[in-house]
Amino acid sequence: MIKTAQDMKSYKKQLHQALNDSFLRSALDEFNTAYRENRPNVYKDIDFNSIRDSLAENKDRLIPFLEVLYEEFKRNAEKAGTFVHRAKDAREANEIIARIARENQVKKIIKSKTMTAEETFLNDYLEEQGFMVTETDLGEWIIQLKHEGPSHMVMPAIHLSRYQVGDLFEEQTQSKVEAENIDKLVKVARHVLRPRFLDAEMGVTGANFALADSGTLGLVTNEGNMRLCTTLPRVHVALVGFDKLLADLGSALEILKILPRNATGQAITSYVTWIKGANQCLNTSSQKKQMHVVFLDNGRLSISRDPVFRTALRCIRCGACANVCPIYSKVGGHKYGHVYIGAIGLILTLFYHGKENDRAIVKNCINCQACKEVCPVGIDLPHLIKKTYARVIKEEGKTPVKNFILSKVMKNRKLFHFILRKAYLAQQPLAKGKPMIRHLPSFLEKNHGFRSLPVIAKTPLRDQWETLSPKLENPSLTIALFAGCAMDFIYPKHGKDLLTLLKKANIQVDFPMDQTCCGLPAMMAAEEKTARALALQNIKAFTGKKYDYILTLCASCASHLTHNYGKIFKEDKEPAKNLELFTNKIIDFSSFMDKVYKFSQTSQSLTKKVAYHSPCHLCRGLHVTKEPRALIKKAGYTYVPSKDEDVCCGFGGSYSVDFPEISSEILKKKLDNVEASGADILVTDCPGCVMQLSGGMDKRQSPVKVLHLVELLAEKE
Amino acid sequence: MNKNNLIQTMTEKAGAVGTIIHEISSVSQALQYAVDLNKEKKLKTLACPGLDKEDRDMLMNLCKASDLDLLEEPLRDHSSCLDTALTWVDFGIAETGTLMLASDSEEIRIATMLASIHIAMLPISKIRTDTSAIEADLNDILKKNSPSYTAFITGASRTADIERVLAIGVHGPVELHLLLIKEIQP
Repeated sequence: MIKTAQDMKSYKKQLHQALNDSFLRSALDEFNTAYRENRPNVYKDIDFNSIRDSLAENKDRLIPFLEVLYEEFKRNAEKAGTFVHRAKDAREANEIIARIARENQVKKIIKSKTMTAEETFLNDYLEEQGFMVTETDLGEWIIQLKHEGPSHMVMPAIHLSRYQVGDLFEEQTQSKVEAENIDKLVKVARHVLRPRFLDAEMGVTGANFALADSGTLGLVTNEGNMRLCTTLPRVHVALVGFDKLLADLGSALEILKILPRNATGQAITSYVTWIKGANQCLNTSSQKKQMHVVFLDNGRLSISRDPVFRTALRCIRCGACANVCPIYSKVGGHKYGHVYIGAIGLILTLFYHGKENDRAIVKNCINCQACKEVCPVGIDLPHLIKKTYARVIKEEGKTPVKNFILSKVMKNRKLFHFILRKAYLAQQPLAKGKPMIRHLPSFLEKNHGFRSLPVIAKTPLRDQWETLSPKLENPSLTIALFAGCAMDFIYPKHGKDLLTLLKKANIQVDFPMDQTCCGLPAMMAAEEKTARALALQNIKAFTGKKYDYILTLCASCASHLTHNYGKIFKEDKEPAKNLELFTNKIIDFSSFMDKVYKFSQTSQSLTKKVAYHSPCHLCRGLHVTKEPRALIKKAGYTYVPSKDEDVCCGFGGSYSVDFPEISSEILKKKLDNVEASGADILVTDCPGCVMQLSGGMDKRQSPVKVLHLVELLAEKE
Repeated sequence: MNKNNLIQTMTEKAGAVGTIIHEISSVSQALQYAVDLNKEKKLKTLACPGLDKEDRDMLMNLCKASDLDLLEEPLRDHSSCLDTALTWVDFGIAETGTLMLASDSEEIRIATMLASIHIAMLPISKIRTDTSAIEADLNDILKKNSPSYTAFITGASRTADIERVLAIGVHGPVELHLLLIKEIQP
């Protein structure tokens, strides 16, 4: 049975257990890497981005008209003898299916894989009603035998080893099973399930597509069990979400170009089946099958009318958002969703299974954007997860303490900066005069001691600016610096290095003093009003003087300012004043140094090897990938590639404090990969990543030095 | 895409998913192929739903000579002993090495789903470039006010549900053979 944690304490306990499951850990880590490495090959013949955009557009056009499509489907399907039903919720869907079974004197039911039936807990209901239900998809059968829910939407038993499967099969067959040999395990399923297909009176399936203009269902499968489920029994019931309705075959064929590729790396699955109406069935007196399609609403129609969440209905259930998620790869699907898992699961759980099941899991997103990058229908998953969290908070009617503090402190810049200044003093007993805090007090050390922490600067950059800042007579450019909290209060050195570089190019840099936190931490905590207030403060702080660029050395700030500010004010009737003037000027450090500063190739060749960590919000947030690597080479260093360069470092701002065990595991893999590359220096261009990576390297006393790219380039000057 | 390119792509893509492909010159060669394959694999039974009477009779004779059983319909009665299915398919889709098979007949469905080996016969003239090239034909089927069951088949039945290791032949055919027949024109 599915036991999703309903509070943080039990969730943390579950996560701890999952992190200690060694098979799960290695299987999912390998899967995460293999899936990403295989993607370029899978998409070598087709253009992912253009198909994604076209699918998103097509789905968005249809979503407001699901009721109309339903009526059209019904009309056309009935002409071919299909009975079409609609169910407002899970209970009603289950009742309809049980009634069909009873009316047809059914006792034995076989099922092929359907997430929609998982959503309604159909098996439990049918078994309670006295029917014998057998799952026939291999993975689904395995988890049925284990009395578990799926841990992945496409590979439901990915969390189990062959030996665990072997034990289940031995119990089932009462005979010895050779678990080492997966082919033999598969044949056990073939032999045990074949008679069940032949005996069953009813087959239950889902569907990937419901084509309104013909009343046809399209099903995308690999094993062949669905074909048997829809052929051998005399009754076929398909349980289909309203969101699977499409206008026509052309729309389905377009999805088919990308669904198998994104799900399993196949150009097409073994079987794609188009079923319409009451097909021939020779063991009945009418020689016709009874065909039923049950359309499930369960909140879908209400989502289709929601301006924020309706894009969630674009989902075609490929499972890729889990495949690339660094958190899923550490804790697995049972701890990363309720029925629907992965990023989309954190969203849909609220709507289909209630806030109780979503309140803990919805917090577990590090906002690395990996899911958004691979989503074949362009759902802005990280954004919707935060929107979902905000809705959970609203429905709960209680403001979390963290949000209360964020709201009180961050909206007031002077108070916020006062606290940061005081933090320097508070840290001194732990820092003992060193730049890093290696050991935390014992009550914190266990969970949070996986990295050393940087010490807050004695004098923040803003307080040194007056003496540091050059006043150039005829500057080639005038830019403003958006410092971000980390550079301002932890790494003023990055600012000084920047000034060293820019002075040589005769670039005037200003530091508007009213600037404050970009607001990303507030958005991460779904503290929407605070995020909005901070955005307004920043826009105002940079308005008034004409700047060629607003430069930031923090990739997260850059991405948040560029993309999220627009989203914050999207629903406003009038756009925020000067919003675009501000966001259009934002530039990240690598792009600036490469394209504007035109950092030139040094003739000197250095022996040091440099690895690069690609910050999530730079490579996926801003799609800047080539520039930083080119800059490392231009500075004369040898760039050494390391594995999974573009995978998150596990920082995620307050995520690493809220979920330290997961953050620590993600960091460990990152550092292992860097050390394996043989690099002397690890460079990145986000102070948050610098904090996490240098903290980790320091804790493991690694000789690898961690630098912000600005330090590397300034060192050269 | 010209004819040779179509054949080449179809062969490459179908081969990439494990389909065993041969170009042959006549239906009688296909019948002989089915019989020989059964003998080679030491299998006992064949089914050939959808073949016309002349071809079926010819296959019957070949089976008799080789001590094989050509199963009588309804095939439901032989569902536990169905070794090889020999059928026509309607189209080939070169881009993915896919076969399109109108399977409205229960006999065709049962044969192609329960048999261990499916041997598909496809006239070379029926190979199309991609799914958009068969969209109109498929839509003609789907838009009729009558039931239909149409399959795209690409390779043998497969799964990776245990440890993501690919295993062939979980519920459907363990082998898919494609015989591209030269002599038949539409």
